[in-house]
Amino acid sequence: MDIFIKIAGALQDWLMNGMGLSVTASELIATAVWALVAILFILVNLIILVWMERKLGAFFQMRRGPNRLGPAGFLQFPVDIVKVLGKEDIIPAAADKPIYKIASICAFVTTICAFAVIPFAKGMVLEDLNIGIFYFIAIGSTATLSLLMAGISSNNKYSFIGGMRTVAQMISYEIPMAFSLLGVVMMAGSLRLTDIVEAQQNMWFVIPQAIAFIIYFVATIAETNRGPFDLAEGEQELVAGYFTEYSGIRWAIFFIAEYGNLVAVASIATIMFLGGWNAPFGLTFLPPFLWFMIKVYCMIFMFMWVRWTFPRIRIDHLMHFGWKFLIPVSIANIMVTGIGIYVYRMITN
Amino acid sequence: MFGQGLIKGLGITFGHLFEKKITQQYPEERPVLPERFKGSFSLRVPKCIACGLCSNACPNNVIKIESEKDENNKKKLTGYKMMAERCLYCGFCVEACPTKALLWNHNFERAKFFREDVNLDLFNSYVPSPEDEKPAKPEKEEETAKPEKEEETAQAS
Repeated sequence: MDIFIKIAGALQDWLMNGMGLSVTASELIATAVWALVAILFILVNLIILVWMERKLGAFFQMRRGPNRLGPAGFLQFPVDIVKVLGKEDIIPAAADKPIYKIASICAFVTTICAFAVIPFAKGMVLEDLNIGIFYFIAIGSTATLSLLMAGISSNNKYSFIGGMRTVAQMISYEIPMAFSLLGVVMMAGSLRLTDIVEAQQNMWFVIPQAIAFIIYFVATIAETNRGPFDLAEGEQELVAGYFTEYSGIRWAIFFIAEYGNLVAVASIATIMFLGGWNAPFGLTFLPPFLWFMIKVYCMIFMFMWVRWTFPRIRIDHLMHFGWKFLIPVSIANIMVTGIGIYVYRMITN
Repeated sequence: MFGQGLIKGLGITFGHLFEKKITQQYPEERPVLPERFKGSFSLRVPKCIACGLCSNACPNNVIKIESEKDENNKKKLTGYKMMAERCLYCGFCVEACPTKALLWNHNFERAKFFREDVNLDLFNSYVPSPEDEKPAKPEKEEETAKPEKEEETAQAS
């Protein structure tokens, strides 16, 4: 499915030759168009994911889920978006208004930024950075900041506790996440995401790096604030956590960012562990882009399955699990991987 | 082993994923109600002897009976109202009815927009059906004895 690449090439060609623009100007316009495409991709995925989340959540509990509007309730969420757009934008009187206003946008921007380096197929990547995975982790860290901004600026004790918990949780779980990805980077010998995918043509890294995959899976659940690690927005204790005071479209932007993050981390899991766009067992009758999306949705199904199965864990258990279990195991995994690579090189040379 | 419970839990929810859904699609799919379900009341007017036992049995004074005597000096029902806004659905009236004229039915959709609409006028809303015209079969001796007793009470009062 290199139709996207062809369209991209044709657009750039048209801008340069048809419109008579300079190389820089045409690249600027093309990049803006790609950014829009990324946003559109997030929104399309959002609609599918919210429907999927509600449907699967219902099925796991033997309910039916949304089933009124559209086929199998698929149009429920678009209509909900329209409802949210029409709502009043309430800002608390005592809130720190500028920070309160930009917090939700910051959360969304970091999510879009993460999509800049994700290769959906061969050559189908906005910017093939040579430090792609490093960039992804760095952008993921800044998402914490926007949630903290929302929590503090709301001037509400629940928001504040939610924001603080988010910071504690996300910073703790970023370390095992980065370390689990380090094993893959060592095996691939590159930080560039396309190189990592190319290195998995014969064997997906989920086989030699199974422990890293499980660590990454657990850590990203905590990173995306999903159940059973959704302490930052634990309804029973914190109303809605850091976005308690948010309503209308500002709340919806947080919501979009949350699901966008979910797609981003599932994409990274696919790229790092599940072979990216490579077809499994040589089943190349589907285009690479479709294989990539199938893998991403399988990962998202796993996330949802876990969310609707386990109860929320306690905050001190969360911290103990992160610092006393995941980090030592991930460091041990790096060590074992290093020794393995060393031994492999000794044998082959 | 650590994590065994987690896998077991995931297995249980995965099983639920393909199980039959237990949600009832209420307005389209009618609930299957048990035989003795206490919904609303229905009165088989031809069977009613206007004895007033239901009214006496009622703890909240819900039932208002109007009756007149015909040429044979027999009581005939001319009005039967239930102030259902006060009713607590205890079912004493149904139990008290000697001819089984007053019965529970399966109509549970009793929500109304105005308060007055809640009240039931069982006499005027009665729809005749051939089933009701049959004389009540005396299933037990007790039941055949009852109506006589009522007439006595009715005459005494």
